[in-house]
Order: sequence, then C-alpha cells, then structure tokens
Amino acid sequence: MNTKPKVQLRGVYKIFGPRHTQMMTHVRAGLGKDALLADHAHVLGLQDINVDMQAGEITVVMGLSGSGKSTLIRHLNRLIDPTAGEILVDGEDVTKLSERDLRKLRQQKMAMVFQKFALLPHRTVLQNAATALAVQGADGTTQDREARKWLDRVGLGGYEHRFPSQLSGGMQQRVGIARALTAGTDIMLMDEAFSALDPLIRTDMQDLLLELQVELKKTIVFITHDLDEALKLADHLVILKDGAVVQQGEPQGILLNPADPYIEDFVSDINRARVLRVRSVMQPLAEASFAGEVEADDTLERLIALSGGDTTCTYRVMSEGQPIGLLDMKDLVKALVPRLSRSADQPDPV
Amino acid sequence: MAYYDGFFDALGLREWCDQSVEAAPTSMQALLGQLGGDTDAGARGSPPFPSLDALHESCAQIPQTRDMTAGVEEAFLAARVSLKLVLDPITQPLSWMLDGALWLFTATPWFIIVPLLVALTWYVARSLGVTLFVAASFLFLGFIDHLDVALETLSIIFVCTGLSVLLGVPIGIAMSRSNTLQRMLVPVLDLLQTLPTFVYLIPLIFLFSVTESKLYGIAIILYAIVPVIRLTDLGIRLVDPDVIEAADAFGMTKRQKLWGVQLPLALPNIMAGVNQTIMMSLAMVVIASLVSAPGLGVLVLRGIRNLELGVGIVAGFGIVLLAVILDRASKAALSRIDKNKKAH
Repeated sequence: MNTKPKVQLRGVYKIFGPRHTQMMTHVRAGLGKDALLADHAHVLGLQDINVDMQAGEITVVMGLSGSGKSTLIRHLNRLIDPTAGEILVDGEDVTKLSERDLRKLRQQKMAMVFQKFALLPHRTVLQNAATALAVQGADGTTQDREARKWLDRVGLGGYEHRFPSQLSGGMQQRVGIARALTAGTDIMLMDEAFSALDPLIRTDMQDLLLELQVELKKTIVFITHDLDEALKLADHLVILKDGAVVQQGEPQGILLNPADPYIEDFVSDINRARVLRVRSVMQPLAEASFAGEVEADDTLERLIALSGGDTTCTYRVMSEGQPIGLLDMKDLVKALVPRLSRSADQPDPV
Repeated sequence: MAYYDGFFDALGLREWCDQSVEAAPTSMQALLGQLGGDTDAGARGSPPFPSLDALHESCAQIPQTRDMTAGVEEAFLAARVSLKLVLDPITQPLSWMLDGALWLFTATPWFIIVPLLVALTWYVARSLGVTLFVAASFLFLGFIDHLDVALETLSIIFVCTGLSVLLGVPIGIAMSRSNTLQRMLVPVLDLLQTLPTFVYLIPLIFLFSVTESKLYGIAIILYAIVPVIRLTDLGIRLVDPDVIEAADAFGMTKRQKLWGVQLPLALPNIMAGVNQTIMMSLAMVVIASLVSAPGLGVLVLRGIRNLELGVGIVAGFGIVLLAVILDRASKAALSRIDKNKKAH
C-alpha cells in the first residue's frame, strides 16, 4: 500500500546571492553550478530536489561536504528559504507559511538535532531537555516530567542537574536527542547528529536511534557524510552531489546497482558483506539440496561465518518461518565484488 | 596689498569683493601689522595658506575665522531655546534622582550607610576578600574625614551608572539587531568617547543653569554610556550562531530568544561593559566638579585653584581608592557570572 508521504520536496532550488530570484531563469535554462558561479557570482546550493519522505521511515541524505545536504535539511523547517519549489509537510506548503504559523510548525511538527549539539550552556541538562515544552508554554510539572522521561530513555538519568559543559560529547548529544524527543513531534531532523562523535560512541548512538525508532516510528531525516552510517540507518537513501540528487532509493538497491561512477566510487570502499542482506541477493525458491537455513534480513557476513567459507553450498532463505528463496554461495561471492564495469581503469579479463 | 588680491582680480570678482562691506572690527593681526609698519608684507613674502583670514584680507566678502566660530555660537544659541524646551522636562527627573541620591547618601548616618554598602558588596561579589577591603577603605576614608565627600561622589556614580545601563543595554540590543543602526551609531559612539571631556560641558552650560545637578549628570552619562552600549552589541553578536539556530528551530519568539538565550549568553560581556562604565563615570565626576558636581572632585579642584597641595593629593588618593573598590567589586561580580555559566 502506498501511503501519502509525510514530507515532500517538489522542484526545490536554492541559489545564494543578492539577486537569487533573477538567477532562477538562468538555472532553468540549464546553466550549471560552476558556470553560474563564474558568470554571475551566485552559488547554486540546491537544484531540482524531488524527494518523498515516508512517515515512520528514516530518510538519510548523504553527500560530501559542500553537496548541499545541510542546506537541504534547513529547508524543511525553513531555517533557509528556498528560491523556488514546494516543501509539503502533511500536504501543507511550508514555504507559504506566515511567521506565526512557521513558529507553530517548528514547535509542534519538527524537532532538530544539531551536529555541534547547540545546547544552552547556561541551563541544566533538565532545562535543556525541556526547551521545546518551555517554548510552547507548558507548565513546570509537565516540562519536568517529560524531560525526565526522555532523559532516562536516552540513558542520562541522574544527570539532570549538571550543565552541558560537564558532560562528554556523546552525553551532550544524548541531551540533544532527548530535547528533540521531548518536543513530541512526528518529524525529527538530524543534521550530522553523530559526526562530531568518536567512532565507538557513534556506533552506540546509531544503535540508540534505531532502538528508539522501533518503538517511536518517527519520520526521521538524517544527514550524514558517512556511507556506513547512512547504510546502517537508512530506509530510504538520497545521495546528493553538487546540490543535485544523484540517486535515491532503498540502500541495498543503490549498493547493488549504483547509478553512476560517482556512486560506484562511493560504494567501492565499504564492507559489502556487512551491509548487504540475504534478501537482496537471493534467487527465487527452487528445488535444491540446502546446507541450511538463513533469515532474509541476515547480513552476508553472517552467512559466510555460518558456511565456514565453503562456497559450494546453497542455503534456504526464511522469512517469518516461511521459505521465500534460496541463496547460492557463488552468488554471494559475486555480490561482494563491487561493480566497476564502467570504470575506465578496469581492464577486460582476457 | 594682500597676497591673494591678484587671484580675485583675475576672477573678475573685485567689484563683488569691495561692495557694501560693513566696517569689520580690525583683527589683531592687522593691528600688529600697523604697529610694525609693514602692512603689505604679505604681498611679497612666501604665500600664506589660503585660509579664511588670509583671503579676507584680499576680499572683504570672505568671512574671517572668528566670524565662523561666532556663527557656530549663534546657531547654537538660536537653537538653544527650542532645545531647552524639549530637553528640560525630559532631563528633569535626572536632577531629582541625583539630588535624591545625594540626600540619601549624606543624610543617612554613617553607621547605617557604611554597613549597607559593605553588605551590597558582599551581595554582588560574594567574595570575602573584596568585602573586607571595601569595609577597610570606608573606615579609612571616614578616619581621615573624607567619608562624606566620597559618599557624594559614590551617589553620583550609582545614579549615572544605573541610568547608563538602563539606557545603554536596550540601545546595544537594538544595535545588535540592525546592521544599519550599528553603522549609524558607531561614529556617534566614537565621537562621544574621543571628545575631550571638557568639551561636553560647554554646550551643556548654555543649555542648563550651572546650579542644576542634571548638567553634570548628562555630561557623565554621555561619556560613560559608550562601553555598555558597545559591549552589549558585541556580546549579543558573539553568541554562538549554532545556539541561535537551535532556538529558531524550536520555534522561539524573538522575545524568548532575547531573554532566554541572547542576554544570558551575552551577560559576561555586558558586565565587562558595566565595569568600564563605572570607571568612566568616576573619571568624569572629577571633571564635572567644574560645573558644581559635589564630592571628592571639588577638593581636587580646590587643590588646583588655591595650590593646596595636600588637599588635592589626599582627595586624589580618595578617588583612586573609590576606583579600586568599584573595580574589584564589579570584577568579582563578573567572574562570579562567568563561573556560573561555565559550570562549577
């Protein structure tokens, strides 16, 4: 069933510069980012962004620095105004909201988590977590109860009366997440939320987010420059380059069928066995002698361990107790080879 | 013959120059020239700078420099009545406040006012050392019979600093919000800060009578308000943009942002401005004794006028003592705020 997307971006453009509206005609006529900068000294931040974000899913927007991903996420709650295009949240065009309605939207529909945490240094952890409720004018006991609840949930019970500067980076970002959760919004915007944390803490935080998501089913928009993080979290992956969407879709699909050399480059570096899942590479069910059974959502890495490295076996793929396909270990090995067919430096095997 | 005669002749302005010249009073230079007997020395010697005076000698239509200064004075005097009409009622409360504070500080017996001030020091500074130092300083000033005048000076500083903060912080906030306003105000603030302190007093003397206390009040506030405006503006502009963005993202109104985020985070800078303002009003209160501001400044003035060396030096020392007290107390308050913010 195809439900209506929670957030839709329709032909969103952003041009930075004093005469950005006039520049739209040039851009629509096909002028590229470099040409616009050279000829008119305006920066093309985003071009023709069309993305649907489904309710209850994690949409990850990935790109290198300067690709426009942070600009993109700030369009959703209009911290940045688009030059052209529509941004629909629950079917309502955000770009047409008055200042008052916009404040309401920010208070009630979207909460944001920031890369540099952006906590209020003069307020305690508890007060920080209650920020959204305080802004909405909730009474003290509600603020206190909700803030404590979410601080406990992110594992910060007992730190309520500390100040942010007394906490480590990871703990500060937990406060940032608690602050966003306390707002009680459907949508959570996470702008490189874990990028400033060291790798171990980052993994912890990703697990925390996934664990919360199972229960809360929020619509999460997550920005990152880290492909491993993107693949781990994403239900829907959007890859940006120079302000344009290069490819979007289900992450496993992007990994197996990269749309262009830029993405091939990207995906060639990652540990495919850890990311790819059995269901993405399995074949339709057929008669065969099975060496065992695997779950459809298991990673290939797990199956390799199960098989003990024997590439001659075939496994039956199970989902919820039912057989749904089979996986030949030879297919698995093929899937582990990054597809670089279009790269020029790859000589044809003779 | 004056040096620039030929210049006006060449332009064909001779006729215009010579017509209907009122007999201008002879300048001192001309008189001296007549005494020396060489009236046309200018025509032969090295060319004088073509100033108003030099040109006037060749062409009577050109005004002399003293006419120009007289013009400035006349313009000011012409505007004076209407200025006074507007400024007088507005500034009247300042006179009341200054007189009231003076009365309060001098009429209260020493055994009440001194403990009160020491308690105030403890309240703002929360530092035993500073509080003890303040108490000792007051006792010493009392012991050498300078307590009353020191308290007079202190009362003026309290009123003027209070008003400077009350006016300066909102101006600073407005300035931080608008780049245009900032561009307009910065030259004014520069002017206020660099104008020689005596120059403030001249137009004020014409506007108000010397016996009114608001005269020195205005001079002190104009001089001392600058740092608190500047540092409020700076402090708010220096607030971490990430935090401001977060405040926006959670839908804060402008007012919530100001009171909940910008002012608390700018407070250390604002307090540094207040400290500067206190010091500058102390500097000005001495000069303001020229226009009847009471306090230690009067004694310094007496020292200069009557060449009473001892009186002047002791009063000067008293001022230094006051400065140190005020500086230490406000710095201690500042560092307390800093520490609060950076967590304990």
